[in-house]
Amino acid sequence: MVGYTWHFGVVWEYREVFLRGALVTAKLTAGALAIGLVLGLLIGMAKSSRRAWLRVPATTYVELFRATPTLVQLVWIYYSLPILTGVQLGSFVSVTLGLGMNAGAYFAEIFRAGILSIDRGQMDAAKAIGMRHWQAMRRIILPQAVRRMIPPFINETATLVKLTTLGSVLAVYELLHESNNLITNTFRPLEVYTTLALAFFAIIYPIIYLSRWLERAWVARS
Amino acid sequence: MIRVVDLHKWFGQHHVLRGIDLEVQRGEVLVIIGPSGSGKSTLLKCLNFLEEYERGAVYFEDRLVGYRDLKGRRVRDHEANVARVRAEIGMVFQSFNLFPHKTVLENVIEGPLVVKRQSRAAAVEVATALLRKVGLEEKLHAYPSRLSGGQQQRAAIARALAMQPKVMLFDEPTSALDPELVGEVLDVMKKLAGEGMTMLVVTHEMGFAREVADRVLMMDEGVVIEVGPPDQIFRAPKEARTAAFLSKVLH
Repeated sequence: MVGYTWHFGVVWEYREVFLRGALVTAKLTAGALAIGLVLGLLIGMAKSSRRAWLRVPATTYVELFRATPTLVQLVWIYYSLPILTGVQLGSFVSVTLGLGMNAGAYFAEIFRAGILSIDRGQMDAAKAIGMRHWQAMRRIILPQAVRRMIPPFINETATLVKLTTLGSVLAVYELLHESNNLITNTFRPLEVYTTLALAFFAIIYPIIYLSRWLERAWVARS
Repeated sequence: MIRVVDLHKWFGQHHVLRGIDLEVQRGEVLVIIGPSGSGKSTLLKCLNFLEEYERGAVYFEDRLVGYRDLKGRRVRDHEANVARVRAEIGMVFQSFNLFPHKTVLENVIEGPLVVKRQSRAAAVEVATALLRKVGLEEKLHAYPSRLSGGQQQRAAIARALAMQPKVMLFDEPTSALDPELVGEVLDVMKKLAGEGMTMLVVTHEMGFAREVADRVLMMDEGVVIEVGPPDQIFRAPKEARTAAFLSKVLH
């Protein structure tokens, strides 16, 4: 190790590869985030429902995704789903879908916890003036709950960015996969992986910082 | 206007209401007293189905509340029907339960806008008048967290009144208030009673009961101990349990 000469010039030469990878990472994150949010909201509501036919499947879904490795979920969706459904998804779509479904399970818990954190009296008061359950949810409960959900939700987004690296296993050209390919061309793993780590730090740290800042700002206000 | 027949309610194994019968006439003020844990608040919440009851019946203007008949079997009523009944029954809670993310005015117009689908202008006009009536005309655009407990409770009363309810339920409206703020809330309630509002009031304020109630109902351990005009209940209770309770709260 001592005396190793760094050649970051090689990385600079291939900067486009990193930008390309970062773009794919961003697309994966954005796609999974969109899927995860919608799924999470629906499943979180279903999990809080008093109707067993909604609650039980939702709970099973969350437990299933939380108790199995994300990587296993991704390869399952990529290799097993086509056999069962006859629909062959591309690797990018598979990974986006898989990460989205995975995030959905975690977002569902955040939504549910946020809704549960609102005092029961709020729902009672809304119903007492004649609101339907969904009206009370939309106008009274969710607006209050969302604020409490945002910090954990942002943290989960940071985790999601990290999980996109799993896409490399299914040959999705995100940052890690591009880096691996680059190393086979340049034989410069140290420089490439260091740059890779810094690239992720540059993406994720602002997200974590935003979450902490929001949390503090809101605690200060209330 | 309200008729309760052999009402039973369980919380798990705990039998909270053990066969309540009750009738309230239009314009009547009924004050419900009794030791804590006697089921007073639960009874009130069964009237607008915020609590489900398991046996017996609650009728609001001769309509069964919360259930309907399906081929001779009693099943839960559609949510829309339950909501419609609730819209005609105002409720005021011990902990106010104002919506903290809305201003006082927004709290009061919420029901008329969302449930009654009134225009904003009409709702604001009614709300402003109600808030003036409860003495909060200066606080229209304040958030609940900026108000004292007494002001919050008066805003909550205005919120309930904005739906133009046929009856008002008060669930220990002054129990969470500092002693010096109790009067201002009771004054609003007295004014309301004076205007002929039908009211059911669960309270420990015996002075209010004596002065405003048409009838006082004493409850203990999920049953009605006795009902009568305030004079009789306070001067000459028929039941030993009523006398014992009153001697404790009246010192």
